[in-house]
Amino acid sequence: MTVNRKAVPWIILGAAAVVAILAWKPTVLIYGVQRAGLYASVAIPMALVLGIVHIVNLAHGEIMMVSAYLTYNIARSIGLDPWLALLPVALVMGIMGYFIFQLTIRHTLKAPELNQLILTFGIAITMTQAISLIFTPQTRKLPLSYVSMSATIGETSFGVYDFVYVAIALLMGFGIKWFLSNTRMGKAAVAVGQNPRGAAIVGIDVMKTYVFIFTVSVILVGMTGSVFMTRQSIFPYVGSPYTMKSFSLVAMAGIGSISGIIYSSLLLGIAEAAINGIRGASGWSGIVFFLIIIIVIAVRAYKGRKL
Amino acid sequence: MLKIQGLECGYGRMRVIEGVNLEVGAESVGLFGPNGAGKTTLIGAVMGINKPWGGSIEFDGKRIENTDTHFMARMGVALVPQERELFPGMSVDDNLMLGAAYIPHARDKSDEQLEKVFSLFPILRERRKQLAGTMSGGQQRMVAIARALMSNPKLLILDEPSLGLQPSIVAEVFEVLKELKKTVSILVTEQNVRESLRSIDRGYVLENGKIVIEDSAEGLKTNPYVLKSYLGL
Ligand SMILES: Nc1ncnc2c1ncn2[C@@H]1O[C@H](COP(=O)(O)OP(=O)(O)OP(=O)(O)O)[C@@H](O)[C@H]1O
Ligand SMILES: [Mg+2]
Repeated sequence: MTVNRKAVPWIILGAAAVVAILAWKPTVLIYGVQRAGLYASVAIPMALVLGIVHIVNLAHGEIMMVSAYLTYNIARSIGLDPWLALLPVALVMGIMGYFIFQLTIRHTLKAPELNQLILTFGIAITMTQAISLIFTPQTRKLPLSYVSMSATIGETSFGVYDFVYVAIALLMGFGIKWFLSNTRMGKAAVAVGQNPRGAAIVGIDVMKTYVFIFTVSVILVGMTGSVFMTRQSIFPYVGSPYTMKSFSLVAMAGIGSISGIIYSSLLLGIAEAAINGIRGASGWSGIVFFLIIIIVIAVRAYKGRKL
Repeated sequence: MLKIQGLECGYGRMRVIEGVNLEVGAESVGLFGPNGAGKTTLIGAVMGINKPWGGSIEFDGKRIENTDTHFMARMGVALVPQERELFPGMSVDDNLMLGAAYIPHARDKSDEQLEKVFSLFPILRERRKQLAGTMSGGQQRMVAIARALMSNPKLLILDEPSLGLQPSIVAEVFEVLKELKKTVSILVTEQNVRESLRSIDRGYVLENGKIVIEDSAEGLKTNPYVLKSYLGL
């Protein structure tokens, strides 16, 4: 492995930060990494659809929410464990994604991007309102004993269940990277992202590529939603902040970069956990999240690097 | 090979192509005309990029008026677009390989084809790792021509291949086309009538969406109207 020389100061800085946090409150690092896993597992599917084929989907977090409700209701009604419900739910989400694309997004591909923005924003509102009407705005949570598993190292004990997000994020991240560089459909997606007209000329079925990538991203964020509901309480608006956060993470990672999402999530997750670790400061974590994103994007723009 | 009859085509309510008849056999055919005559529109209709309003287009004996672009490519029609349409963030190599990767009859022969293409454009071999988006306009046009050839086409359509190329390269490109026409049918639009007349067998002059002259290369060279309007004599 070759290490970029410019990266050396950053690696040292990062290592120093990790050591400092470990000395101060080791749990901050643990919860930070877990939080990063959650952010990344929501943002990576968006990085695929936004970063690779440039479809703006402002209903991303809401799709995760719908999948969470679907999983919740299957688990409640037939007593299936959410982890087992995950696959049938993924199938339903795939069908839903396919129809969302064919009925709506397909017709905005050649229009200015603003149309996609408004259209998917409308889909997001429709989803939250529909779920609100059907299931009421009440908060829901499935009692699952295994989510409170914990471990103790030395004198600190901490929840370990949330590490599943880290596993999911890594699986998705490496899976997508492999898919993009090793499969026909993956390479086609990269080509379509760079130039849809050029892609059609070389024999790539551009529409099929869009449908496939969009559907896959819906399935992936849907799976994250199924897992999300095992741990978090859900309510109709629970997905909305994740749309915003994923969007920001993709911008921060650099359009098209999947590994960038993982680094950005780590930075933000740990920063948030650190703020939460300071007594009385937890109200600031949301602000700090977006502040860091603004700084990173501004610095990158200042350096004149490509977003 | 390619047979266009009574083609009508346009944008919105504006008619751009009005009843064009054009044929390309096992030969090299030129399509000339001033800016805005409708050359790119005509090619777009063949390639499935814009939908014809009327008339018929046949390729290899099959009607293709409403065939999608990627199917046209897979049937053996390769296009070198006026705007080049490369993949700017990919290397020259990757651009070229994509020219063959999705074409059933070219996919398995892409390595041989790459060698052929490199021998036609040696500069591309030296630049194989360079990102296509960072190349000069002329180099990009060579990549676009090379990418089209990677698909081992039956019909090669070039939309103003000499645009933005220095004179020595223009001559070179037409030399390459002359060589290529032995094995592939060619339809080429050009502003540079003088140079292209050396490589084509027949030509059409398109003005305001209508074919006004159709003749052999020899005939065009001596046509008073062509001499005056296109060769500046
Ligand atoms: N997408 C479009 N929408 C509307 N009008 C168009 C479009 N593309 C081309 N036109 C119009 O159609 C006419 C023919 O254009 P076309 O590009 O086919 O000409 P051309 O012969 O290729 O010209 P040039 O030599 O400049 O490339 C022009 O009047 C042009 O303005
Ligand atoms: Mg043109």
